[in-house]
Amino acid sequence: MKRFIAAMLAGTMIFSLAACGSQPSDGGVETTGTKTESTTSSEGTTATAKPVELNVTTTFAGEDGNAQNFKNAVKAWCDETGNTVADTSATSDETFKTRVTTDFETGSEPDVLFFFNGADANSFIKADKVVSIDEIRAEYPDYASNMNDNLIADSLVDGKKYAVPVNGFWEAMFVNKEVLDAAGVEVPGADYTMDMFKEDCQKIKDAGYTPIAAALGNIPHYWWEYAIFNHDTPENHVQVPAGIEDAASWVDGMLDIKELYELGYFPDNTLSATDDETFAMFVDSKAAFLIDGSWKVGGIVNACQSDPEDASTLDADKLANFTVTYVPGNGDRKATDLIGGLSMGYYITRKAWEDPNKRAAAVDFVSYMTSDELVPVFAQHTASALKNAPAVDESQFNALQIEAMDMMSGVTSLTGAVQDIFMGDCRVTTFDGMPEIVTGKLDAAEAVEEGLKLYHAQQ
Amino acid sequence: MGASIYKNKKPAIIFLIPAFLFMIVYLYYPFLQNIWNSFQNIRQLGSSGEGFLNPWYSNYVEMFHDEVVWISLKNTLIMMLVTLVGQVGIAIVLALMVDNITHGKHFFKTVYFFPIVISATALGLLFNLIFLYDKGMLNQILEKLGKVGLTDWKGEGIALFTMMLPVMWQYVGFYFVILITGLNNISDELYEAARIDGASTFQKVRYISIPLLHNVICTCSVLAVTGALKVFDLPWTMFPKGMPLKSTFLTGTYMYYHTMETKNVDYGSALAVLIVVLGIVLAKVVNAIFKEKDY
Repeated sequence: MKRFIAAMLAGTMIFSLAACGSQPSDGGVETTGTKTESTTSSEGTTATAKPVELNVTTTFAGEDGNAQNFKNAVKAWCDETGNTVADTSATSDETFKTRVTTDFETGSEPDVLFFFNGADANSFIKADKVVSIDEIRAEYPDYASNMNDNLIADSLVDGKKYAVPVNGFWEAMFVNKEVLDAAGVEVPGADYTMDMFKEDCQKIKDAGYTPIAAALGNIPHYWWEYAIFNHDTPENHVQVPAGIEDAASWVDGMLDIKELYELGYFPDNTLSATDDETFAMFVDSKAAFLIDGSWKVGGIVNACQSDPEDASTLDADKLANFTVTYVPGNGDRKATDLIGGLSMGYYITRKAWEDPNKRAAAVDFVSYMTSDELVPVFAQHTASALKNAPAVDESQFNALQIEAMDMMSGVTSLTGAVQDIFMGDCRVTTFDGMPEIVTGKLDAAEAVEEGLKLYHAQQ
Repeated sequence: MGASIYKNKKPAIIFLIPAFLFMIVYLYYPFLQNIWNSFQNIRQLGSSGEGFLNPWYSNYVEMFHDEVVWISLKNTLIMMLVTLVGQVGIAIVLALMVDNITHGKHFFKTVYFFPIVISATALGLLFNLIFLYDKGMLNQILEKLGKVGLTDWKGEGIALFTMMLPVMWQYVGFYFVILITGLNNISDELYEAARIDGASTFQKVRYISIPLLHNVICTCSVLAVTGALKVFDLPWTMFPKGMPLKSTFLTGTYMYYHTMETKNVDYGSALAVLIVVLGIVLAKVVNAIFKEKDY
């Protein structure tokens, strides 16, 4: 009996190993036996004759507003081409960035990735692990031909264009109208200045509300960017000063934030609160203004739903309390000059490009995802690089999204964020050091100088 | 064959090899690599070094001049004292009290041990809600009791207290269970003899329980001090980036901050080396202080 059981177990093990051996070497789903003839995508690009599996990673996951759109698009592409996609998308955070960097370092990068086009991409571009758009166009002339090349960001490494953008971003000022009404303050418009802003903040404070929802000890990023921008122009903002002698705008920006802090316009616990806490103050009508990114539209809408997962539970009256407008301007920067742009895009990796089975499929996938039909679905109220953007059907959007579109229609310029190139430990003194700056424990000029020294030492 | 089978040690060594290899690959090799990394210039997590720093030991020099390193060392030492007094001390008192009751021992054992089974991150989120500035449980209670104005429990001055309280609370049960097991091992005959001699409850505790618990208390103290060096998740969940004003950093959270947040990976590696050295030195000191006795 024992011998019989032993023989049976051994047989089972051999069978299992044989089954494992029949899997493709990349660990993907076996696709043999599902052969299809050559397929054509919506862009007319000829896809591979033999279905392949593409490894794709994006940030369209988790709470990202486009997570479901991406799933739908992937499914449609797979149905259309017969190919499959191993989707390893994850929420856009530091863990995701680290994973992507490590994957490239260890040679296990995906075939296609939707990733940042700023300093985060420098390491794999330097290592020649992704293919430039020009190189792809040499073989596929129609690749990203529907995009306005001038709006596609150049790599910081070699000035070439690599990432085909889909949806952009903007940073603007969200407003809680209920608080403004209670304080007798009008919703700011396109000609809003810092002096007007300070006047309004004082009125709001006098009415017993917190004027600005911001956690300076946790996420000072938006105020950092705009405070500096207010002493720059859209033309020169995305330039890191060569040294402290050229950094007057940076120092003045830090001092502006310090002034607002000293005037008591930030929450009492701004140095110890998290971003979630100050956002909750804004949503609960305890704070009036919130400078944040286009992604916060989804956050506010979710906060107005009794079930964040179910759009049908949206409290439209509560959502009507919120709007989005321009950030108070100063000097040569008008309120309508916003921070924004197209900071991410689809890359095709060298690994996929040099794989004869995957090259066409990767090109076809990116072409599909960046087509004239799909880009507006993803871009919604943000910017896109399409040459011919189709008209938007407003009935598909909620009130805040429509107000965001109205706001965007009045924007005079969109400028990239200088913090996207000022990355790493050079940020520490002015980002994490913001509490020390506003409380006077660290001199703003010293903090800026130290950060700039670190930045230039790394270049 | 016969009895010689018991003299053959080869099979035992063969069975030890997998664990040994596991330790080499997942502990000693990464540790040595970490020391190497602390001399390299690494500007992004996941990327390899861009050559040696100039001078190669500059991270270690920087550590001496980094004010926050000293803050984190000071906080870590305070954390050790808190764990010794707050965790082991309270656990001794609770264990002695529970040992002296006749009914409900199991109930109290379960109640005090329960926090251990909750993940530290979940506890951090729980205490975040308790200490929340606006609508937090504690501030609401104080408001009901008539206090005017909100208290920022995470503000400068009391942040350290707010951080250490949940850490202390979480591990009391762990030492409590060890100590009560130690108390159970003390023979009832000793207590019976003391009772016949007319000893009071306090005298029984003072002259029987505590002396015979000495070795268990020593073990708990060593565990508490070395454990304090590793405290990370709960403080990080409640006070990310050493908020406020970098006043709540511990050595572990400061190392994580540099590695994961600022991407100064080589400096994070140097801090990790400091933590290991500190751990070894403190373990030696604590072992020397809390020397176990032979009875």
